[in-house]
Amino acid sequence: MKRFYKAHILASAISLVLGSCYSNNCPLDNAVTCNYGFYDSEGTPISYGDTITITTLMPGYKTIYTYRKLGNPNIIKEFQDSSLIKLGYSETKAQHRRDTVLMNKIHDVSTIQLPMSFFNSVDTLIFSYRKISLKDTIKITHTSYPYVELPECGTYRFHTLESASSTEAAIDHIEISNSKVNYEGNENIKIYFTGIAE
Amino acid sequence: MKKKPNIHIIILLTVLFPWAKLPAQESGTQPLMPGEKPKPTQYIAIEEKKEHLVFFQGFTLSLDAYGPIAYCLSDYGTAEAALRLNLKNTFFPIIEAGYGICEKTDFNTQISYKTKAPYARLGLDINMLTNKFQENRFYIGARYGLSKYKYDIAGPAMSDPIWGGSESFNYKGLDCTSHWLELVVGIEVKIYKNFHMGWAVRYKSELSSTNNKLAKPSCIPGYGYTTNSTCWGGTYSLIFDLNWGMKKSHKKGVNMELRDIPQKQTEDTNTFQTDFNNKETMYDSEKAIEDGE
Repeated sequence: MKRFYKAHILASAISLVLGSCYSNNCPLDNAVTCNYGFYDSEGTPISYGDTITITTLMPGYKTIYTYRKLGNPNIIKEFQDSSLIKLGYSETKAQHRRDTVLMNKIHDVSTIQLPMSFFNSVDTLIFSYRKISLKDTIKITHTSYPYVELPECGTYRFHTLESASSTEAAIDHIEISNSKVNYEGNENIKIYFTGIAE
Repeated sequence: MKKKPNIHIIILLTVLFPWAKLPAQESGTQPLMPGEKPKPTQYIAIEEKKEHLVFFQGFTLSLDAYGPIAYCLSDYGTAEAALRLNLKNTFFPIIEAGYGICEKTDFNTQISYKTKAPYARLGLDINMLTNKFQENRFYIGARYGLSKYKYDIAGPAMSDPIWGGSESFNYKGLDCTSHWLELVVGIEVKIYKNFHMGWAVRYKSELSSTNNKLAKPSCIPGYGYTTNSTCWGGTYSLIFDLNWGMKKSHKKGVNMELRDIPQKQTEDTNTFQTDFNNKETMYDSEKAIEDGE
């Protein structure tokens, strides 16, 4: 009987020790991005040689204030500045598109990762090239939803791609290769540029 | 130096106390008189006392005391009962059923999770003690667990860092079915009559859960937290041995059998006393065989 009481105490101690061990299983690579791959017009993976800047259109417009005074350079501000008017500057207001640079002057890359909007159904991306004066516009239609792996890991915003289209300045065409945008890192969209890789 | 006993004292004691046995008699060896031949001996088969465990030892009903206490002290708890069959005090097929509740809100992320649902487990325990007659048990076992449940999950507003805007979410009634396996190691100690108490430690491994597009279950009724693919659990059982359908004589599971001496010694063997430790009876039987009766 004594032996059983000892075993009883041992089991209690083990369960307490095991109960005190805790670790979470949150994904380490948890950035949710839409992954793009670059291909030539025949489908061969390429590193695009030109320098590309990618901007996106934000919803709505922003007001830009321009202050001018003879003999002085123009001052552009996103808010009204009455102190400049007191100094003799004239003020002009204008509505501008709210573009944001997502990637600046990348070159010789074969893949890119871009974020997607949480609450817009259409994302518009503008590809500007250094060697070509024309720009390409890509439109991606998608749905977004919050995803919870574990409460302690927080919320991720996953997306499901519905359609993708582009202009044809440097891009031949684009297609969706995997519609699920999550943190697994799969290629989601293939961009086929005009021309054939040498 | 060891002294030899004085022969005169021995003779005196023998005369005064004739019923007293001398050491030589006690050891069972008969001193031979001059000219006497040793008696032939014959092997008599006497089966030793055997103890047989009755196959069906009754049912055991147990209640888990750890689950309700865990619910008071943490976010997750259970109310659980188990019905166990006792076969030869060795094998214990068991069915466990309970109701699990989990309500938690993570301190850092403020995401809340709620579920409450019944669950069931099916398995077998094996008593590892060599002496199966004692009332205490040390057992290992395995379980297959199943729970079909719905869970709610809600989170605070999430902001878009580039395009702007924020929105909270509240998912209700997400369906899920989970399966898991458990390895059990435990002990039981008899406390009073048919009442036992026991600890068990359980190592659980999730086999599968229904995939949901929106959220994974954070806690499965009957299994526990799904933070890792495996987890530990425990039970503190209040156990009642129920002897349904058992004869009273089988209660302890012991059935004694004694096989008689072979048939050719019929008459004398009928008068045999079953106490095979009685050396005088043994001597009489040997004499009877020698006389050819």
